Parts: sequence; C-alpha cells; structure tokens
Amino acid sequence: MSEIFGDRDIIVVDLGFGDAGKGATVDWLCAPETGLDVAAVVRFNGGAQAAHNVVTDGRHHTFSQFGAGTFSEVPTVLSRHVLVEPIALAAEARALAALGVANPLRLLHVDARALLTTPIHVAANRAREDARGVGRHGSCGKGIGETAAYALTHPDAPTVGDCRTPAALRRKLEALAAHYRPLLADGRHPFPGVDDMVALYVEFAAAVRVTDDGDLADLAARGRLVFEGAQGVLLDEWRGFHPHTTWSTVEPSHARKLIDRLGRRGYVLGVTRTYTTRHGAGPHPTEDPALAAALPEPHNGTGDYQGAFRVGHLDEVLLRYAVEVCGGVDGLAVTHLDAVERAAAAGTPIRAGQCYRHVGERLPLGPAQDLAYQQRLTETLGRVTVAQVPLPTGRAELLAHLETVAGAPVAVAADGPDRAARTIASALAA
Amino acid sequence: MGYGKWDDDTYAAAKTFRAARGLDDFGYTATMRTRPYTEWTVDPSLDPFGVSVRESRDSAGHPDSLPIAVLFDVTGSMGVVPRIMQDKLGKLHGLLQRKGYADDPQILFGGIGDADCDRVPLQIGQFESDNAMDEQLRTVFLEGGGGGQKSESYELAAYFMTRHIATDAWEKRGQKGYLFIIGDEFNKSRLSARQVRTVIGDDLRRDVTVESVYRELEERWNVYFVLPNQSAYYDDPEIARHWTRLLGERFLKLDDPAAVCELIALTVGMGEDRIDLGEGLADLRDIGSVAEADSVGTALVTLGAGRAPVTTARVPLGDADDDDVSFT
Repeated sequence: MSEIFGDRDIIVVDLGFGDAGKGATVDWLCAPETGLDVAAVVRFNGGAQAAHNVVTDGRHHTFSQFGAGTFSEVPTVLSRHVLVEPIALAAEARALAALGVANPLRLLHVDARALLTTPIHVAANRAREDARGVGRHGSCGKGIGETAAYALTHPDAPTVGDCRTPAALRRKLEALAAHYRPLLADGRHPFPGVDDMVALYVEFAAAVRVTDDGDLADLAARGRLVFEGAQGVLLDEWRGFHPHTTWSTVEPSHARKLIDRLGRRGYVLGVTRTYTTRHGAGPHPTEDPALAAALPEPHNGTGDYQGAFRVGHLDEVLLRYAVEVCGGVDGLAVTHLDAVERAAAAGTPIRAGQCYRHVGERLPLGPAQDLAYQQRLTETLGRVTVAQVPLPTGRAELLAHLETVAGAPVAVAADGPDRAARTIASALAA
Repeated sequence: MGYGKWDDDTYAAAKTFRAARGLDDFGYTATMRTRPYTEWTVDPSLDPFGVSVRESRDSAGHPDSLPIAVLFDVTGSMGVVPRIMQDKLGKLHGLLQRKGYADDPQILFGGIGDADCDRVPLQIGQFESDNAMDEQLRTVFLEGGGGGQKSESYELAAYFMTRHIATDAWEKRGQKGYLFIIGDEFNKSRLSARQVRTVIGDDLRRDVTVESVYRELEERWNVYFVLPNQSAYYDDPEIARHWTRLLGERFLKLDDPAAVCELIALTVGMGEDRIDLGEGLADLRDIGSVAEADSVGTALVTLGAGRAPVTTARVPLGDADDDDVSFT
C-alpha cells in the first residue's frame, strides 16, 4: 500500500452526500494487516451526527465521534474543527466497550478549542425542525447546526476547554440557556439543569485527554495520520446545495491546513459508491425508487428528523463537481462494487447519469462562500433531466470508467461492507 | 432543592466517564476508606446534626411534589444495596416519570448505621428532583461494620423523619410521603435521648419507646421496611415479627436485592393509585426487569391484593401513652 500513499498522511473524504463508506475505508487503512502504520485518526469536521458503519471480525459499530480506526486501537483526535457532544460520546464508549474495546475513552485526544454541543443545542435543533413542518431541512436532530450558529454570534460559546474550569463553564451554559429560553419555553424539548451539565462536563474533561492542540504533533511524530471526513462534500456548508447542507466545512481544506502546519504532505482519497445516495431532503437528480428496492440498505434506516434513505443511479455530474469542490483528489476508494451485480440481478441495472440536459457534464464552481449562487444550483438541480446510459458491468471497465469521470486513479475498491471485502484496486482489477 | 428534572442521558454519561477514570461511583466512601477509622466522618451535605428541616417543596416546574425518602442500612453486607440502587436510578425515574407513577417525585437518600458503635450512625440528604440525587446517593458513606447486636439505629432515622422534614405534599394537600427503610435487623430497644442529642442535636430529655416514634412517623409517611435477601436475617422469624408488629403489611421481604429499585417504584405507583400490581409487573417486564418482576411480585402480593390499606393503614400497636416523643 505504501507504494500508493508513500509517506503521506491520508485524507478520506466522501464524494457524495455521505454514506459512501468512509468509515469502512478508514477502518481498513488502520488495520495492522494493511501495513500503513497509522498513528491516529483525526476528525476535522462535523460532530455527533456522523454515522460511519464498520463491519469487521463479526463486529459492527456505527462510528460517530470515535474514529473508525478504533477496532485497531488507533487513537482518535477530535480537532478544533469538530463539534464535541460528550453525552453521545459516553454512549458510544459504552457501545464500543460492549464490543470488546477496553476503556475506549483512553483513545481520545480532544482539542480544547473544539465547540461543545450540549443538550440545549439538541433541544433547540429539534424545536426548530418541528416548527418547519413539511419544510424540514433534513437535519439529524443532533444540535450540530445550532452549535455552529450560536458560536457564530456568540464568541463565548462553550468549548471543550471550558470543561476544565467549572466556573467559566457555568457562566457560558447559563448564557446559552438564557439565549434559547424563548424557543424552548413550551417544554416539549426538555434539557437538564446547568448544575447537572457542569458536573457532567467536568467528569468528561477528566476522563479524556484535553490539550490545546489535541496532541496532533506528538501523534504525528509516531506515524501516519488518517483524516476521517464526516458527511459528504456535496453537503459542504459553502459548496453544497443550500439550504440542504450541514454547518460544517466538509471538503478537505481544514485537513490540508492541519497537515501543512505539521510540515507534511497529504493524499486526498475520495470515496464513492458505484451509485448515488442521500439521506434526507434536497435535490437528487438520479433518484430511482426501483433501484432503492433492488439495493436494500442494512445500516441506513429512516431517521426521525433526517427522513428516508434515497437511492439513485451514479450521478457523474455530481461526482465531477465533488472532485472539483475538493480541489482535486489524489485517488479514489470505490465501494459497493457488488451492488452492480445485485442491481442487475434484481432487474434494475445501475445506470450512469453522464450529463444534465441543458446544463452539460459539469456544474460550474461559483464564487467562494456565495450562498445565493449555491441556492441557484439547488434550484437548477431540482429541474434537470439526466441523460443516462448503462454503467459498465465488468469490474476493470467500471473502475477505468470511474477513473475517467473523477480524473484520479482508483486506489482502493470494496466488494461488500466487511473489512475483508476491501483490497487495493490493482489486485481486484487483475 | 429539587427544581430541575432528572436526565437519564446525563446520569449515564457521568457514570461512564467516572468508570473510564477508574473512579468508584461511591467516591466519598472510597476516599474515607483510605483514612484511619478515627477520621471517618459524614459528608457535610448529609450531616443531620443541627439541621432544622429538610424540605420537599412545590415549584413552577414541579407543582405536585411527592416526597420519597429512601434510607439504607449501610452496615455490613447491606452496603451493597445502595450500589444496586445507584446503578438503577435511571430505571427508577423511567418508571416514576415516564410510566406516570408519580408526577413530580422528589427523592431523598440517607444512610443508617449503629449509634452505639459506628462513626457515622445517620446520614440524611436533601429532596432532589434532578441528577443531584445521584450525587447525593454517591456521597452516602458506606461505613460497613455494625454492632453484632442484631440491631441498628433505625429509630434514630425515624425520629429525624418525624421532626425534621417539611413537605408541601402534606402542608398543602394533606398527602403522605413515602419512606422506605431498607435493612435487616431490629430497631434499638429505645430511642436514646443521648444519641438524639449527639447525632441530631435536639435537646431530648428522656428515652422514648420505638413504638411511639413510629406511631408519630405514620401520621405523615407511608412507611415501609424492606428486608432484602442479603443476610442470614432474611429468614429470621424474630426480625419479621418485630417489623410486622410495627408496620403490619408494610414489612416487605424481597428475595432479590437487585430488585429494590423496581420495588420502590411499584410501591409508589400502587400507593398513588396509578397502577395495580399486575400493571406494574407488566411495566417491569416491558423495561427488561423480568427477573426483578418476579421478586417484586412476591414482595408486594399482600399489598397488591389489598391496595387500599397502603395509605390508610394504622400502626397496629396501641394508643399513645406518656412515652410519646415530646418537644423540649
């Protein structure tokens, strides 16, 4: 593997709307047998809404805040760009302990500057999403947007570092509760008292390693870093299809900066399925319920706040756009190769959406941070019709086709959800 | 006290973080045990000495407060019961609140030892409705020990509950609270005036009969003595006779100590007329307490048959006499 990645740190990003298989890819990259000598998995965006499924050695876990290298005992760094939710983190630690990871919290390194997501943010998120009714944004209901929004207007938003100083934390939580009191006054979305939260967060800060930089440089000195992106770049706060986006920079610029600061080089590994999926509201031009029926999803159900899992044919226009949003990728991880045969066997072969009629093969990248432009793209996507042709079914032809569309070589390919189903592409194509 | 609301997720997360650090849930006890016996003392928040009243009050968020006091015998093998209770606090709240057994429960925890020989014979917390009760319970000092005289100072705790508790449930609504004493021995033969003075600080001038203490206690509390199957006394007919004489059918034998939390929840639910025994046992099975349901069913079968006596039962002992507790 090191002939592909050299000594570079690896940034794993999802080139779709999420659920492409980042978690399984990171798990595989971190596995001792892959031989990449990974010292830590670094989360550089998102928060507790991440849901990265990993299946290996008969174990299954949906990784949320823990890095997907945890089964291989690889430490996780929650960087300053992550929104940290300690209550969910504790629940995840219990789930991992039940799967045989001894004291999982010992593997966490947390940057003191990371924002804290509290039950108040969660309650506010749900109250707002309820009020939207049918106009829901497709939020996960985990307080991510509220955490980011509150921090934009309140420089004193609570951070992980505050958990080390109870008096400061209490002041900040009281300000937070006061801010949301009007929204939450009806009591339909209760949250715990400030005293209880302070007590809890002090325990949290004592139980994990909280440092001013997440110990990133120390860990980097021990080996390779794998940067695990959350969500998909098509949900990026600035480059996604507004307003159906996440409040987080999903494209790899934050990860690239962290690597630059270490004086090292990064390799961007873009993960894509052989077809296009999305969870929740927003445009999905190649969506096809028949394909959804042909490709049942073991780990992605319908979320209370997120809505249904939506399946469509391979949207090559969106794939090209995603690569461009990333500033190019160095290689591809192609997952769900097995789906091509399964869909064909079910009588609904996967098709390739090559271009949008009246738009073309590419969505032009707009000016930086122009949400009005992104909104127009969203409206465009809602109207397009897609020119589709059959997707190549031979594995070598399919991988070659994806390399052409994405403009990058396939490095990793996966034939199923399990770690054992992942392999370097050259071996699979041969 | 007691204005917030219990939150299960916060409770579970705090427990997880403590465990990750290798901390005992009962940290106060762990700290005390590293010190010499002569330095063992009650945490100030649980010290009954000089307390005028512990209060359970209504508030905007809790207009219908219902006081529930749980006092554990913390001597000898009984010290395991508070640990079981702490593990299951979330379940207790799930039943009381989500299943609607009580609208606004406020829970007080305390510990009972032996005033003849223990360093910390009595501990009494506050009524709490939020996660502070978890902290309170974890601060109870599990002293262990005990006198080997087959008696503990339950009557001292009972005296405190008669004289040093004020509740809106009683003052505004004439509603009794629920008091659970969880132990396995006799009361001391008399309420000792000297021990009341040294442990609680009241200037009581003479000893009082145990019967008169419980008679007064009964006026404002539904009092239960729970004997968990945790020691040789479980099958001791003298213990059963002693407590049945005092409390009648509210002496409850519990064959599985792990079910104490469920027992308390169902007793309150039945006392408040929110469920009958069958419904309560079905709820327990719903939440996965299947083995516990069997134990609770056995313990409560007498109450379950009667229902009404829970709140109307009188102490079966005779009339007040000149041994009654009197203020000085």
